[in-house]
Amino acid sequence: MIEARALSKRYGDLVAVDGVDFAIGRGEVVGFLGPNGAGKTTTMRMLTGFLPPTNGTAVIAGHDIFAEPLAARRAVGYLPETPPLYPEMTVASYLRYVASIKDVPRRARREAVDRALERCGLGAVRWRVIGTLSKGFRQRVGLAQAIVHDPPVLILDEPTIGLDPLQIQEIRGLISALARPRDGAPEHTVILSTHILPEVEAICRRVILIHEGRKVVDAPLEELTRGGRRLEEIFARETTRDAARVGARAGEGAG
Amino acid sequence: MRHVSTVAARELRSLFVSPVAYGVLSLFSVLAAVFFILNLAWFNEQLFYFQQMQAMEQLERLNLNEHLIGEFYGSMSVVLLFLIPGVTMGLFAAEKTNGTQELLMTSPLSIWDVVLGKLVGAGAFVLILAVIVGLYPALLFAYGDPELGPTLSGLLGVLLVGWTYVAVGTFASSLTKSQVIAFLITFVMMLVLMLLPAVSDLGLAVGAPAVGQALRTLSTAPHFEQLVKGVVDTGDLAYFAAAIATFAVLTKTAVESARWR
Repeated sequence: MIEARALSKRYGDLVAVDGVDFAIGRGEVVGFLGPNGAGKTTTMRMLTGFLPPTNGTAVIAGHDIFAEPLAARRAVGYLPETPPLYPEMTVASYLRYVASIKDVPRRARREAVDRALERCGLGAVRWRVIGTLSKGFRQRVGLAQAIVHDPPVLILDEPTIGLDPLQIQEIRGLISALARPRDGAPEHTVILSTHILPEVEAICRRVILIHEGRKVVDAPLEELTRGGRRLEEIFARETTRDAARVGARAGEGAG
Repeated sequence: MRHVSTVAARELRSLFVSPVAYGVLSLFSVLAAVFFILNLAWFNEQLFYFQQMQAMEQLERLNLNEHLIGEFYGSMSVVLLFLIPGVTMGLFAAEKTNGTQELLMTSPLSIWDVVLGKLVGAGAFVLILAVIVGLYPALLFAYGDPELGPTLSGLLGVLLVGWTYVAVGTFASSLTKSQVIAFLITFVMMLVLMLLPAVSDLGLAVGAPAVGQALRTLSTAPHFEQLVKGVVDTGDLAYFAAAIATFAVLTKTAVESARWR
């Protein structure tokens, strides 16, 4: 469903992502881990078509992001780190707008919006202006925006950041529900990035860990945690191999 | 290009659910009324003065189109200079601060969908402003007998100048994420476009008439004046079309290149 081929991004001399390869099959839920500045967001932005890779390419649902950019984008639902909301619009009119720019046919739009509202528990606030909603609700609107066109691939960048414990539970439940099969077939393939390791253990079946722009771990969660090993230990071991480098990186900004 | 109207409709609706549209519309209506009354008062004063002086020749030359409607259009084109940057400053800058840039650029839209959608949305708003301007000369038809031709062509001039400013403003907004900076860039560029003839006079003074003429041609002012006089020349219309197209292409390039940085 999602295939990254030697995906690389350079900003001048800075190498943000350096030849990342992976293939994610239909219906998989993959946790995308890495310290701040590791290149998670950059990789996700390349997969969604927001940033063009410097080298390499990606194939989304059979569409190469360079050869068929529009088809590739149509197959992706993307929730960026900050949900892309227009504060002055109502929830319903915003979702209707997103459905229309995502090429949902005119006749199917109302149904698509209703379904997204229902799945994200937004029915009660559909006529509210987005700017007046709480952070938890905004995050839900962000998620509704990502699924309104029922895309086969979902890319979620830190979907639970800044939420309270209860809201985190809700959003996690929502993501798990999205990944469950509907009518016998797996509905969405999900990549989600996060810093919260228990979140990965709760929803993901596979882990990809990147560090300094390179993939360092790519394995099923089961295999990694076999014998009672904890994800924290693996994360710490893989990202602190070179203590000096860690010291130098300490002051860097977000990735 | 299938989504131009979607993007344009959202842009227009966003203007009307925020205070921007209402602020601009109210201010514009008030200013239009003030300038119309001032121009009308001046016209009446002239009329009265020439009658007193029995200056038949001047009285002959004084007419509603040139000395009232034309002056009024000129004033309104200057008012647009101040208001249009306020309408266009957010077109791209707000997308960047909202994070909705990421939504637009990861949707199956072409860059032209986005750029033209924004131009059309803001352009439709300027059309409303032009209608407000048109109301005042329309009043004169009830009480006097201005010529219809120059009245309409001058109004077209106001609209075309407005649209050119929209194109400039859209480009400025695509350059920065700060709405204040977008406003200032637009204002300065429009002022330059308008005041080029003054520079061209300077060029004539130092003995480079070709340069002076070129600068004059680049300015909005002489083309606008022709339309206000009632002269509808394809050259002038082509000027506005070319100016709008140029800034549309510049905007598209700016949006596109921002992705590669």
